Amino acid sequence: MKHTKKILALVLALSMVFTLCAFAQADGVEPAKEITLWTYPIGNWSNEEVVNSLVGDFEAETGIHVTVDYLTYTDGDDRVNTAITAGNAPDLLMEGPDRMVAGWGAQGHMVDLADMFDEKDLEEINPTVMDVVTSDDGSVYLYPLVMTAFCAGINVDAFKEAGADQYVDLENHTWTVDGFKAAVKALYDHFGSTAVAVYCAGQGGDQGTRALVTNFHGGTYTTPEHDGYTWDDPENIQAIEELAEMKGQGLEFDASLVGGDEIALFYQGVLKIALCWSIQQQLDPNLAGTGEGLTMNGEQIAFMNFPSQEGVDPVLNGGIWGFGIFDNGDEARIAAAKQFIQYMCDSEHTAEAVRQANYFGVRSAAADGTVDLSGIWDDNETMKEFNATVVPNMGDYYQISKGWNQARTAWWTMLQKVGEGEDIPTVVAQYCAEANEAAAAG
Amino acid sequence: MNKISSTRSKVYQAACLIVIILLALLFLFPLYWIVIGAFKTKQDNYSLNPIWWPKEWTLENWEKLFSRRSAPLFDIIIPFSRLFTKNGKDIVLLSGPVVPGAIRWLINTVFMAVAAMVLTCITAALAGYALAKKRFVGRGIVFSLIVCAMALPKQVILIPLLKEMNVLGLIDNIWAVIFPTVGWPFGVFLMKQFSENIPGEILESAHIDGAGELKTFNTIVFPMVKPGVGALAIFTFINSWNDYFMQLVMLSSNFNYTLPLGIATMQGENSIDTGLLMAGAALAAFPIIIVFLIFQKYFTKGITMGAVKG
Amino acid sequence: MARAAQPTVSRALRRRETVSGYLFMLPSLVFFLGFVVIPMVICIFTSLTDSMMNNTKPVNFVGLANFQKLFQDEKFLEALKNTFIIVVVSVPVTCAFSLWVSSAIYKMNNFFLSAFRCIFYLPVVTGSVAVTVVWKWMYNNYYGVFNYLLGPQGLGVIEKNINWLGDPRFALGCIILILLTTSVGQPIVLYVSALGNVDQSLVEAAKVDGATNFQVFWRVKWPQMMPTTLYILVITTINSFQCFALIQLLTSGGSGTNTVMYYIYYTAFKLTSTAGHFGYANAMGVILAIFIGALSALQFWLAKER
Repeated sequence: MKHTKKILALVLALSMVFTLCAFAQADGVEPAKEITLWTYPIGNWSNEEVVNSLVGDFEAETGIHVTVDYLTYTDGDDRVNTAITAGNAPDLLMEGPDRMVAGWGAQGHMVDLADMFDEKDLEEINPTVMDVVTSDDGSVYLYPLVMTAFCAGINVDAFKEAGADQYVDLENHTWTVDGFKAAVKALYDHFGSTAVAVYCAGQGGDQGTRALVTNFHGGTYTTPEHDGYTWDDPENIQAIEELAEMKGQGLEFDASLVGGDEIALFYQGVLKIALCWSIQQQLDPNLAGTGEGLTMNGEQIAFMNFPSQEGVDPVLNGGIWGFGIFDNGDEARIAAAKQFIQYMCDSEHTAEAVRQANYFGVRSAAADGTVDLSGIWDDNETMKEFNATVVPNMGDYYQISKGWNQARTAWWTMLQKVGEGEDIPTVVAQYCAEANEAAAAG
Repeated sequence: MNKISSTRSKVYQAACLIVIILLALLFLFPLYWIVIGAFKTKQDNYSLNPIWWPKEWTLENWEKLFSRRSAPLFDIIIPFSRLFTKNGKDIVLLSGPVVPGAIRWLINTVFMAVAAMVLTCITAALAGYALAKKRFVGRGIVFSLIVCAMALPKQVILIPLLKEMNVLGLIDNIWAVIFPTVGWPFGVFLMKQFSENIPGEILESAHIDGAGELKTFNTIVFPMVKPGVGALAIFTFINSWNDYFMQLVMLSSNFNYTLPLGIATMQGENSIDTGLLMAGAALAAFPIIIVFLIFQKYFTKGITMGAVKG
Repeated sequence: MARAAQPTVSRALRRRETVSGYLFMLPSLVFFLGFVVIPMVICIFTSLTDSMMNNTKPVNFVGLANFQKLFQDEKFLEALKNTFIIVVVSVPVTCAFSLWVSSAIYKMNNFFLSAFRCIFYLPVVTGSVAVTVVWKWMYNNYYGVFNYLLGPQGLGVIEKNINWLGDPRFALGCIILILLTTSVGQPIVLYVSALGNVDQSLVEAAKVDGATNFQVFWRVKWPQMMPTTLYILVITTINSFQCFALIQLLTSGGSGTNTVMYYIYYTAFKLTSTAGHFGYANAMGVILAIFIGALSALQFWLAKER
């Protein structure tokens, strides 16, 4: 008995020494003086001038120089993957959970940031968001900064000109499916050109086409457990069939566009309805800096909920963005990157970082409650209106479902096939099955 | 009878000429559109009906092009040095003053194309001569390897090449684009064709005169294949300048970009800002077009003189 | 005595030739072996494994499983078909087109001749990326110049805008058209000079014998230009495999324009369920390499037969 105690004591003592060593080591790491950050275009985080000033302030305070490179949604994924292969991944990446949690995080390329959240942080951060960024095993690969609900947009002047404004409720920013159909018809009759494009050249901006389809008859996209895809349910098939019926009469399935091209065309006044719209776009259409809520020709833009059946609330897809750290095996660089995240996401500088993203912050306060973040957008009418009319309809963040990347590919490939006129129930079932296969495989 | 056929052939010739002029216009059109697009105002560029001739000229697009992304004019680094430094970064000996990113891209592109050109010409001239005139063991195998590899697109060896460059510490370094270009065996093949034309007797007499191998090459072989080297130089320069794929996978930092890569990225970023894109495209295309126009005489002469042997 | 010494001399000569040959080859071989052959060998090895981008898992030897899977992958088969179509269409069309242009311009005076030669060479010089910027606009569904010229404001041939790059009926053709403009440059230069070098006395003789222009061309000129044609076949084939930039920038492999070259990149680096399956991607590379190797061998066998 005595013997056992002795051993136990020894083990305890030893383990304490080891833990102490471990702690000492973790604390003893001198942060690197140079790190790299790659950002996808998220609000002004794609604007060199703004980002330079943000990271400049960071450097002034910490002495850590951040080299920034800007990715696009067209080839950003390939570039990150190429870099991982070539052992050249950036230290920091700014994107959403769909890529970082379900993608690179799950593949083991990223650093677990769970130790960066203390109880206070968990109180301050929106619990739903926290739930999304936390993987099943408790690891957190993304430190969230901002969030939004994706919406649609309409060219108000064109709607008025075509007499289609009667079908939309501009006060509550809502419309019904019948209203949508009537509006597209009115726009087509008046302008004689495509008013809305179901873009499907790739995965870029696919949240818009997903929301359009699922809201049409109240279908769902995934199972509530996020382990399978349900977009082949009868509601969605009916929705896709009805959309296909509108082909050639103001609506086209366009396999030459992705979301980015669509909003460009909308901004140019060619398309009258944008499915890939967001509040960031509303504040600065097409990042062109030509005025809030205006197209290039100065026509007024209104953000809209996605059309839903009469009396049914739309269910909108959410977006979350934040920072993740690639595991380059260099403790010093990881430490510096964590310092950067702390600075941007949980300090007195967070308000500015959020504002520049043109989205809503994910937390009510920062820096252990010393900084109040609830009123970041109080001075902005548009944001307030959006917060009141659109944000409440935010639904489940399902973009971290199993096999998500394959599901995205299957979705746009399916839309292309629908556009080519193939039998709808067959192709929908085929591609949904493909996605489910990927989900089953993990 | 004869008269009719000659008028008919004249009509045919005139028709041909007209079609060819139209085709020439089609070939010139992209270039024309780039040039005027670079000087068009936003409104003109976005117009749904094409504006064939700008109503108003502007330098706006160029200002925008040169106000994006800043970078040092040049960085002189020690290649491979990152393999030995603690933080895995190359040692920078000297950095130039900060300039707009597009200017740095131009510098990168010129450096890349010139380095690839010089290295290719030297290695290919030597190897081509050996393949044509030396009866060495394994010549057949080497030549068949070269022939088979000539048409191989680089996508095939993409993944191993990336890993290899990582091991060599060349990722995100312009040399990672240059080396595979030099390794592409088309130059060797071309120079072999040229070297076939060198009469064996001259080489033999040089040998009898006691000239060493290198001297023979310098004084006899090289002057004779010079037109070929000239053609190959221009050819490699153009190819390397426009080798978008290798640039895409090997370069990741904005200041290491080349012009084609820079424009391709801009296309994704600002898919709407046509004017900016056109200005970028003009910047990428014109230096090389000028180089081509200056040297095109040598090029056509070189390429036709010896490449094709019966 | 001289006879007896012959083999030794020749062996010494042979050794000397071999040493000096390889010394001359050395600089080139370093690059060729280092950046083409060795990666190709690694590629072949990797294609037999389940190697992934995620290198935390051990790599297993899987034999030909990747190849088996490839031939059941519909997308790959489509890509292979498209690659084949591009080569089979663009090579002969480029040759025929450049021959036709050359025969029309080679008799012109120097100024026009070099002007035309330059113009047809310009797209090559301008480069795929810069050229695509314009073509993308020309093919645009909503405001492109083709739809404008063919539509009601122009010739009025089409009623509705054609979605050139988004419609599988047209997209591959559109890519091939751009590829053509970027590959006829050198063939035209070569054919112009070949036509100029045709032995005129044979042409005269044939004409005296009452041969028509057409017969003169096929019986006299064409055989004399055969070496040029073969060389053009080789470079055009090389060129038609270099369409990656066009596809990546214009369609991202959609609307039936996927090629093996793009699909390798796609499989390796796009975020799909197969992302980072390097073994699988390399297997495609091997198949493509075999395809190309066979094609090159065929061409050179043809050349030798001549």
